[in-house]
Amino acid sequence: MASNFTDSSINALVLTGYGLNCDVETAHACELAGARARCVHINDVISGAVALDDFQIMVFIGGFSWGDDHGAGVIQAVRMKKNAGDKLLEFIDSGNLVLGICNGFQTLVNLGLLPGFDGNYKDRSVALTHNDCGNFRDDWVHLQINQASPCVFTKGIDHLELPVRHGEGKLIADDPIIDRLVQQNQVVCRYATREGTPAQGRFPANPNGSIQDMAGICDPTGRVFGLMPHPEAFNHPANHPDWPLIKQSSIGHVQAEGLHVTGVRIFENAVQYFTR
Amino acid sequence: MPHRLEIALKPELFDAEGAGIQSKARTYFNICPEAIRTVHIVTIDADLSPDQLETLRTEIFTNPVTQISDFRPLDLSFDWCIWVGYRPGVKDNAGHTAVEAMADVLGMSFESEQGVYTSRRFCIRGGGLSRQEAGIIAKELLSNDIIQQVRVYGAEEWDPDTGVGIIIPKVQLDHTPTVTTIPIDSDQALREISDARNLALNANDIPVIRNYFLEPGVQAERRAMGLEAPTDVELEYISQARSDHCNHNTFQGRFYYRDLETGQAETIDNLFKTFIEAPTRRLQEQKDWVVSVLWDNAGVGRFDENHYYVITGETHNSPSNMEAYGGAITGIVGVYRDPLGTGKGSRLIMGSYGFCVGDRDYTGELKPKLHPRRLLDGVIEGVRDGGNKSGIPTPFGQVTFHHGYMGKCLVFVTAVGMMPAAVAGTPAEQKTTSPGELTLMCGGRVGKDGIHGVTASSEIFSESTPAGHVQIGDPYTQKKMHDFLLQARDEGLIRFITDNGGGGLSSSVGESARFSGGCEVQLDRVPLKYAGLDQWEIWVSESQERMTVSVHPDDAARFFELSEKHAVESTVIGQYTDSGKLHITYGGETCAYINMDFLTRGFPQWEFEARWSPPKMRGLHEPVLGEPADYAGLLKDMLARPNICSREWIVRQYDHEVQGTSVIKPLVGRDRDVNSDATVLRPVLASDRGLAFSQALLPLYSAIDAYYMTACTIDEAVRRLVAVGGDPGNIGGVDNFCWPNIQYDPKGNPDGKFKAAQLVRSCRALSDTCMAFGIPLLSGKDSMYVDGHLPGAYGETHKLSALETMQFSATSVIADIDCCVTMDAKFPGDLVYVLGETKDELGASEYYDRFGYIGCNVPHAEPEIYLPMYRDLHRAICRGLVTSVHGIYRGGLGVHLALCAMAGNLGLSADLDRIPAQQDLRADRLLFSETPGRFIAAVCPENRAEFESLLKNHPHACIGEVTESSGFEITCRGRALAAVPVADLKSAWKQPFENLI
Repeated sequence: MASNFTDSSINALVLTGYGLNCDVETAHACELAGARARCVHINDVISGAVALDDFQIMVFIGGFSWGDDHGAGVIQAVRMKKNAGDKLLEFIDSGNLVLGICNGFQTLVNLGLLPGFDGNYKDRSVALTHNDCGNFRDDWVHLQINQASPCVFTKGIDHLELPVRHGEGKLIADDPIIDRLVQQNQVVCRYATREGTPAQGRFPANPNGSIQDMAGICDPTGRVFGLMPHPEAFNHPANHPDWPLIKQSSIGHVQAEGLHVTGVRIFENAVQYFTR
Repeated sequence: MPHRLEIALKPELFDAEGAGIQSKARTYFNICPEAIRTVHIVTIDADLSPDQLETLRTEIFTNPVTQISDFRPLDLSFDWCIWVGYRPGVKDNAGHTAVEAMADVLGMSFESEQGVYTSRRFCIRGGGLSRQEAGIIAKELLSNDIIQQVRVYGAEEWDPDTGVGIIIPKVQLDHTPTVTTIPIDSDQALREISDARNLALNANDIPVIRNYFLEPGVQAERRAMGLEAPTDVELEYISQARSDHCNHNTFQGRFYYRDLETGQAETIDNLFKTFIEAPTRRLQEQKDWVVSVLWDNAGVGRFDENHYYVITGETHNSPSNMEAYGGAITGIVGVYRDPLGTGKGSRLIMGSYGFCVGDRDYTGELKPKLHPRRLLDGVIEGVRDGGNKSGIPTPFGQVTFHHGYMGKCLVFVTAVGMMPAAVAGTPAEQKTTSPGELTLMCGGRVGKDGIHGVTASSEIFSESTPAGHVQIGDPYTQKKMHDFLLQARDEGLIRFITDNGGGGLSSSVGESARFSGGCEVQLDRVPLKYAGLDQWEIWVSESQERMTVSVHPDDAARFFELSEKHAVESTVIGQYTDSGKLHITYGGETCAYINMDFLTRGFPQWEFEARWSPPKMRGLHEPVLGEPADYAGLLKDMLARPNICSREWIVRQYDHEVQGTSVIKPLVGRDRDVNSDATVLRPVLASDRGLAFSQALLPLYSAIDAYYMTACTIDEAVRRLVAVGGDPGNIGGVDNFCWPNIQYDPKGNPDGKFKAAQLVRSCRALSDTCMAFGIPLLSGKDSMYVDGHLPGAYGETHKLSALETMQFSATSVIADIDCCVTMDAKFPGDLVYVLGETKDELGASEYYDRFGYIGCNVPHAEPEIYLPMYRDLHRAICRGLVTSVHGIYRGGLGVHLALCAMAGNLGLSADLDRIPAQQDLRADRLLFSETPGRFIAAVCPENRAEFESLLKNHPHACIGEVTESSGFEITCRGRALAAVPVADLKSAWKQPFENLI
C-alpha cells in the first residue's frame, strides 16, 4: 500500500490544528490517490507562511475544531473567513477543489462555501445540527450517489460504504433551500439501506435524521464538496466491517462482492480531475 | 458591564438534548414532562460596545439556520425553569473557546479579569410536575453540586426582564501568596501539623523528615539561603513524593504472609520488585522487542524496525465516584499524557476503558453520592468526550457490574501510542535532562485544581471558593499541545518530556531534575488561572493538560515559535542544574532548598500482616443444585444478565475508527453488533502490520481466591489476542490493580489481613502466569483504598469494599493483518470445534451468580499447558484453516457458542457429549463452567484433516456445525436439550440496554 504512485504535480493541502484530528489518514488517502499531501496548520494559511497557490486540492478535515463548543465547525469557519476568506474564494475561483469531511463539512456550510448558490460563497443557509438520536454515533453507512450531480469527487461511483462518526450531522435548511439543492443535483449522496434503497429517515440507516437522507452536498460547480461520512477512514480493504467475512469467502466459499471500491476513490477522482 | 446572551434552537426544530433529558426523567424517575427546551447562556464579563456584541451574537453564537438568540431572556414558556452553571474555578471549556473566538472576531485581546462563562437553562413544560419533581430533574440529572450551581424557577417566580440575572462564577481569592514555615520541634508537633494541613505524612516518615532538617550540614546550607525550619512548599513536596499514589508504598512494602491452614509463613520484601520487576527483567533479556520498561511514564515495545508502540494504563476512581463525567474525562485525557511523555514523546493511537459500577437498577437502601446508573452515564460520557475530542480511537472496553463497586466505582483508562524508533538521529525512547537546559511548562495554566485530591471534597463551599478538587479534562487544549509537542519532537527540540499528573510540578520537575542532578525553579513565572495561589499550591497543583519539557537554550527560540503557531502557552519556569539541590524561589526569595537525594534515603518501608484462609476454611462450598429442565429459558436469561448482555449503546458513542487504522472493530458479525474478542489496528497506514489489543476483568473470582482471579484474567486477555490472530509468542502486558485497603485495623478494617493476603496471592499469580506465558509487564499501576462508607436507611453508614480487582491489558504485534479473524460464524456447513478441556469449575461463575451462589471450585488457569495449544491454534489461524475463532469467557460455552451464532445470524448445532471434558459433567456444567484455556473455532470441512493434525496434541473435538437453519440446537445424550431461534437469543441478549443510546 506504499504511496509510490504519488504524482508530485497535484498537491493536496490538509488543514490541521485547533483540535482537528483526521490529518494523518486524510494525507495518506490523498497520497494513495496519487497526490502529494501536506498537512498545514490553519495559522500557516492565515499568516501566508504557506501559499494556497501551490495547491490544487484543499481538504477541511474531521475533528473537533475549538472543541465544537459553540456549534460544530463554527469557530473554524469564523476564523478562516475573517483571516483567510479572500484566499479561499480565490482558490475556488481558480478552478481548484475543496473537500470538507465531517467537521470540515460543518465548516464549509458555516463559511457559506456550501451550498454556494449563484456563486454566493458567503451566506449560511444550510446547517448540520445535533443527531436526532441525541448522541455521537460511530457506524458504517451505505451511501447512494446521485449520478446526475456535478460533483467531481464522486464520478463513476454509484454506491459507497463509509463510516460516520459525529454528533452533529443532521442536515437541515429551509424548504426552498432544500428544494433547490435537490433540483440542481447538489445533493451528492444520501444515506441508504443495505439493499440500496433510500433510508427514508429511518435510524440507523440514516444515522442522524438528516432531511431527505442527505449525507453530502456540493456547490453548483461540483468542485466544492462536503460530506459527513469519512472516505479517508476507508483507505484499506481491512477497514470495511465485512472484510473478515469477505476475505474468507474468496478462500473457499461463495464469492462475495469485492472491497475494491474504497473511500480513496473520492480522492482519486479529485486527482484525476486535474490529470485526466 | 457584563452581558448575558441566551441561545436556543428555533421553536419548530427538534431539541435532541431536551428530548434526551425527558427520556431519562421518564425511565429513571417516572417523571413525565411534555417538553424540555434547552437554552444555552453565554455570560460575557467584558466592556463591549453594542456593535461588538451584535457581531459576536451573529458571527459566533447564533446559527441563522437553526437558532434564535437575544441579550434579553428568551421568551420560552415553561412550568419550571432549571438553571445550571459551574461553580467558580471549575474548568469551563466552552467559555475558554468562546474567548479565543471573540478575540479573533473582534481583533482584540481579553484581559485576565475579563472572561466568558457558559451555563444552561432548561424550560420544562407539562406533565403537572411538582417543585420536588423539578428538583429531582435538577439534582439527579442536570447537575452535580460538587461542580455546579442550580436554580429552579416556577413560572410565577420568573421575571421576564431579568431572567436568571447575571451570574459570574469568577474566582476571587483576595489572598497574598505566603510561604509558611513549619516548626518541627517534635515528632508530635509535625504530626499535628500534617493532620491540620492535610499533608497525610506517614507517621513512620516523620522522624526521617525531622532528622533531615535537623542535620547541622543541612541547616547550615539552608541558612545560607535564608531558610530555617522547613517551609510548607518543602513539606508539601515531600508529602506528594512519599504518597502511596506517587511512591507505591504498598507495593514496595514488606508483607508477612501466613497460610492459616498449613501454618506456612513467608516474608515478601517488596511485591513490586519480587513479582513485577524481577520477572519482567528476566523476560526482557529473552525478548529483544522489549525496548523500554519499568522507568518511564509508559512501556515501549517494538512494532517494526522503524516504529515502537507505547502503552500504559491508569485508573481515576475517587474523582469519578464524586463527579462521574469530570472524573472520567480527566482520567482518559490524563492517561493520554503518559505516552505523550514517554521517551521524547509519542503520538496517541488508541485508548480503552473499563468501568466497574454497582447494579445499574439498584433499588436498595444505600445512598451513594451518585446512583450507579447516573454514575455509569457520566463515566461513559466523560471517556467519550475525552477520547473523541482528542481524535484518538476507543476500540475496546468493558463494563462489570457488582454491588461491591457501590462504595467506589472503578474507571480504568488505557492509552497506546506510537513513536518513531529514532528522533533527529537519537533513540526516541531515551531522554535525559542536563545542566543548563531550560525547564518549561507547556499547555494549561495552574489553579487550585486537584490540590490534595479528593480530601478537599468534605469542605464547605462559599460562592467564590474554587471547587478545585474535581476537575474537568480539556481535550481541546491537550490536542493542540499534543500536535505542537510532536512537531517539536520531530525537529529534535525536546530533550526530556513528562506529564504533570499527580503531584503536579513537584512531581514532574522533581523527577526530571534527578537526571541532571538538580534544578532551580522560579515559581512566580508559572502562569496562573487566577491570582492568589500560595507558593506551595502552585508547586503541587494538579491542573490538567500540562507537560514539563527540557529544552536546550539554543533550541528555545524555535520551540517558542512552534508553540505560538499551535496556540499553546509555553513558559520557562526554571533551569536544570547539577547542584544536587531542588531550589525553588518566588520573587527572588528561596522557598525550598532540598537535597535531590533526600527522597531516596532512609524512609521506612511500609509493613503489612497478610493472613490467608483458603476458601474451604472460610466455609465456601459447592451449592447443591439439581439439573435444570428449561435450558432454552436458562440460556436466554444467561445472555440477558448485566455482565453478559449487549452494551452496543456504549460502543457506538465512541469513535473507534478515527485515524483510519481500524482492522478488527469492537462490534463484528453480519449486523456488526456482537463484541469481538479483541481489537486490531494498523497503526502505520503504509504497512500491513497490525497491533492487537485486549483486556480482561474477572473480579468475581476474587470472592474465592485472588490468585486464580489474576491467573484467569491474564489467560483471558491472552486468549482474546490469540482469537483475532495475535501471536502468543509476542505479548506484552499491563497490570492495573484496584484493591480495597489492606492495612489491618481491628475496628475500621477487620479483614485487612485477608485482603493483604489476597494481594500477595494476586501478585504471585501475576508473576507465575506472566512467566509461564512469557509476558513482560510493559507498564502497570496500582490504586488502593477502593472502599466507601455509604449511608443507609436510618442514617447509619456501611463500609463497602470492592472486590479485589486487577485489569489486565495485552498487546501483540501481528506480522500481517491478512491472518486476522473474527468470532462470527460465517458459513453453513463449517465444523464447530471446542479446544481445551472443560472442567467442573463453576465457582464464582455467572451461572452460580444467577442463583446467588458463590461456590468453591474457582477456575484454575494452567498457562504451561495452554501455551503450546495457543501456539498451534495460532499456526492454524495463520494458515487460514479457521473461519472464526472465539474464546470461551464469562458465562461459559453455552453463552459463547450462542454469541458465535448470533454474530453470524446463522444456526448452530452442537452435541455436548463430544465436548472434551472431565468425566460425568452434567449438561448445565458443560454449558456454563468457566474453565479457562478454551476456544470455539469454526473450520471449513475441507480443512478438517489439516486442522486436526495441527491440534492433535491438545484436547479438541468437533462438536457440531454451523447450519443454514435459524436455530441454535444443543443435544446431550441423544436428546434435544435446547432448540431456540438464534434471533430470540439475540433479542434476549440485546434487550436489557436496548433503549439506551
